[in-house]
Amino acid sequence: MVPPVKDRDQGIGMTEYRYIGKRTPRVDARDKVTGKTVYSTDLYPDGMLRARVLRAAIPHGKILRLDVSRARKLPGVEAVLTHQDIPGHNGFGIVTPNWPVLCVDRVRYRGDALALVAAVDEETAEEALKLIEVEYEPLPIIDTPEEALAEGAVQIHRDGNIQHRMDIPPKGDVEKALAESEIVLSQTYRTQFMEHAYLETEGGVAIYDEKTGVITVWCGDQYPFRDQLQVARSLDWDPLKIRIIGSPTGGAFGGKDEISVQIHLALLAYRTRKPVRLHWSREESIVAGPKRHAMNSTFRIGAGKDGRLRGIDVQVVANTGAYDTIAGPVLNLALESSPGPYKYPHSRFRGLSVYTNSAMGGEFRGFGAPQVVFGLEQELDKLAGKLKLDPIELRLLNAVEQGDISALGHRLQTSAGIKDTLEAARKTDLWRRREEIKRDLAAAHPRLRFGVGVASEWHAVGLGVGLPDFANVTIGIGEDGGITLRTGAIEIGQGNLTAYAQILAEALECGIERITVIHGDTFACPDSGSVTASRSVLINGNAILNGVKKLQPLLVRVAARALDLPEENLAYGQGRVFSQIDNGRSLSLDELAARAAEFALPLQVTGAAVFATSDKDFGDGLPHNYYTYITQLALVGVDPETGEVEVRKVISIPEMGRAINLAGVEGQCEGGVVMGIGYTLYEKVAVEKGEFLTKGFSTYILPTTLDSPEQETVIVEKPEKSGPYGGKGVGEAPTVPVTPAVANAIHDAVGLRFTRLPITPEDIVAGLEGGER
Amino acid sequence: MKKIKLDITVNGVKHSLKVDPNLRLLDLLREELDLTGTKEGCGIGECGACTVILDGKAVNSCLILAGQCAGREIVTIEGLSDGEKLHPLQQAFLDHGAVQCGFCTPGMILSAAALLHANPAPTEDEIRVAISGNLCRCTGYTQIVEAVQAAAGKDKGDWWLQI
Repeated sequence: MVPPVKDRDQGIGMTEYRYIGKRTPRVDARDKVTGKTVYSTDLYPDGMLRARVLRAAIPHGKILRLDVSRARKLPGVEAVLTHQDIPGHNGFGIVTPNWPVLCVDRVRYRGDALALVAAVDEETAEEALKLIEVEYEPLPIIDTPEEALAEGAVQIHRDGNIQHRMDIPPKGDVEKALAESEIVLSQTYRTQFMEHAYLETEGGVAIYDEKTGVITVWCGDQYPFRDQLQVARSLDWDPLKIRIIGSPTGGAFGGKDEISVQIHLALLAYRTRKPVRLHWSREESIVAGPKRHAMNSTFRIGAGKDGRLRGIDVQVVANTGAYDTIAGPVLNLALESSPGPYKYPHSRFRGLSVYTNSAMGGEFRGFGAPQVVFGLEQELDKLAGKLKLDPIELRLLNAVEQGDISALGHRLQTSAGIKDTLEAARKTDLWRRREEIKRDLAAAHPRLRFGVGVASEWHAVGLGVGLPDFANVTIGIGEDGGITLRTGAIEIGQGNLTAYAQILAEALECGIERITVIHGDTFACPDSGSVTASRSVLINGNAILNGVKKLQPLLVRVAARALDLPEENLAYGQGRVFSQIDNGRSLSLDELAARAAEFALPLQVTGAAVFATSDKDFGDGLPHNYYTYITQLALVGVDPETGEVEVRKVISIPEMGRAINLAGVEGQCEGGVVMGIGYTLYEKVAVEKGEFLTKGFSTYILPTTLDSPEQETVIVEKPEKSGPYGGKGVGEAPTVPVTPAVANAIHDAVGLRFTRLPITPEDIVAGLEGGER
Repeated sequence: MKKIKLDITVNGVKHSLKVDPNLRLLDLLREELDLTGTKEGCGIGECGACTVILDGKAVNSCLILAGQCAGREIVTIEGLSDGEKLHPLQQAFLDHGAVQCGFCTPGMILSAAALLHANPAPTEDEIRVAISGNLCRCTGYTQIVEAVQAAAGKDKGDWWLQI
């Protein structure tokens, strides 16, 4: 039988899939539930030393003297390193490498590293840290951008206190538009530093092999090939002799895209010629590692009485902490995210990222969007209130569609399903019957007040225009028919490996169990870019499909030789190569694999893909060409006596093109929602005068099972032609609009608006006693 | 530091060891017995990643000294499955998508196992309370609670006796 011609448009039609859109169990789950998965912090090589890092004792000051001689003499100490022991560049940073590996003459925040110790055990390493003598000359401590920008403020870096400035070219004339608008809203929103709080803190092991000159670093990360370059740059080493094994990772959320222990480990392993292990304590992770930037965002929005948005002016000031890492792009994405998926004829977006001596701002799931969407979506609710319009109707009235010009001025070339998500939200029981639901709840719980809120977001997928945004994979079929997919991408928990296996199995029409995914190792995998920006399924998926296009002709060639038929009479389908002439003779993948080995024809291909980019280029990666669209609804109960807010239910309605793995999309939504609830109600890295007041989970409060609401995920599909089987990405969006959805629900419940996060019980009680805050 | 003698049963296997008196149970498991399925997430009893079962009760192994466990029985995640056959909780976590990064998973499963050992048919609220000391940053807990509910029906409560 000749197989039916398979849908050639990458699955945009009505094809019934075997794996795509199913609840395929995760390929890594069995090892994770049995404890067999080996994380980088699970390695204890023989003869290993323990490392510790000396951190700054004050938040800001000159280093007058750094004396490690007593520590070096302590028995059991094998190395104490300072900045003098760094052969190459003393700095790291995803964009600008100005974050010192070890400080030279100045400390700029409490997480700054001054010296490294490697010793035979933890106690000796700890003891050695105490023997290091540091003399500081304290400098004024800057906590906030306001202080940093004040006249006469101490300059944190030689170039001043402004890290980055971004003005997106204005569209139209926003001042005129606001002056002519019948309704103008204006408000500033303030957000806090947020901790990633991955369960596995930063850590790993390094080994230097003197014979080969290779330094191997095992460290859970998000982009091993960038780590390889950053380690090589600081050690003045051949990058090809730095092996980074970054997968799997015990949670990352953006916080492990930057260097943490990698350079320190490599320096110590090289110096001591012994395996070295370094695993940050929870406190060290909170103090030293990057956080979600604290931002102040000021919105001015103009609209007509008809509810149509006329213009938006946004100014964002980010507290970026002491160094750059990736602060510029985070600010840029905050600006790009700030208008939301709505049409405005006039717009202006300006931002400033400012150095301080507070926590280190960095990359965090959402990447600048949660800070601004918190404000925008409350302003839209206020507008709906003034116009007495249903909040969903107001959003629908202004929502973009594919082909529209965005608020920023670029054409939305890819699938844009925000209207579909809003319409789905409008049809939910929670929205339609919300008054009745609130009434019933109030009858059952007379002490509490209930509210329902809605919010939406568009979330950029990919790095953006002008940035290297690619993935490479290799696909090989072994003699036994087993298929190996190699990708440099990291499994950080999101389930990308399973999505890749599903895509490959679907494309080859074979069983998924024959696929092994090898990942995240610079010596075993090609460079697939960073696992960030909700990008890895789209771009690795396309790379896999491009690889399959090269693999199928190889399989046809093997079949041609095995069956002694011309290649043009053979076709690949249903996991076999079929003859199209002599009554459908065919060879299975197993047979093809065996025959290929016999013919010495390697079944090995590479697949590559590059992101398609926007029609405009505003610089610095703006704007983007792909977005996840999402609407979320929240039902809250507020106790007016205690101020406590209970989020009772959240419905997430994402449009991510096509869902590759249903359970995976639900998992991203449910996890993102609870993370967003933490951001909204509990979580805050409190820093005063540069000192951290929250150093563990007794003061930094994470949501538990007792705080997680009932959840529902309603997936809206709008397959994107240029994505694998129509998929885009969904990793970040679900953690964003939940915050203003909850804030809008609180307003619906008690009539109060909050402009500062987190919204605490004290805020609510004070608000109820004294009117709006 | 003078080492102390320690007789301990881990996953049904008896060990006679000499350990430092200040060795934590967590380090004994991970470093001496190579059972790295037990994770360290905070080291001060705030996250639950290091949960193991000690004489039938879920405990934070970062807060217990190895020496305190003399003559006692410990079950870690490695001891929960019956060879290749997964414990109903492990199977349910797999089936319900309750695993993402996986770092909290061993501790979460063991807290749930201790619950099912004591209470084979818990309510949803009882499940939520029993695992409320186990932090998870990836899943939002929904699929985890569903997995425990599903396993509760299947677990005959006799797994403990098999070890």
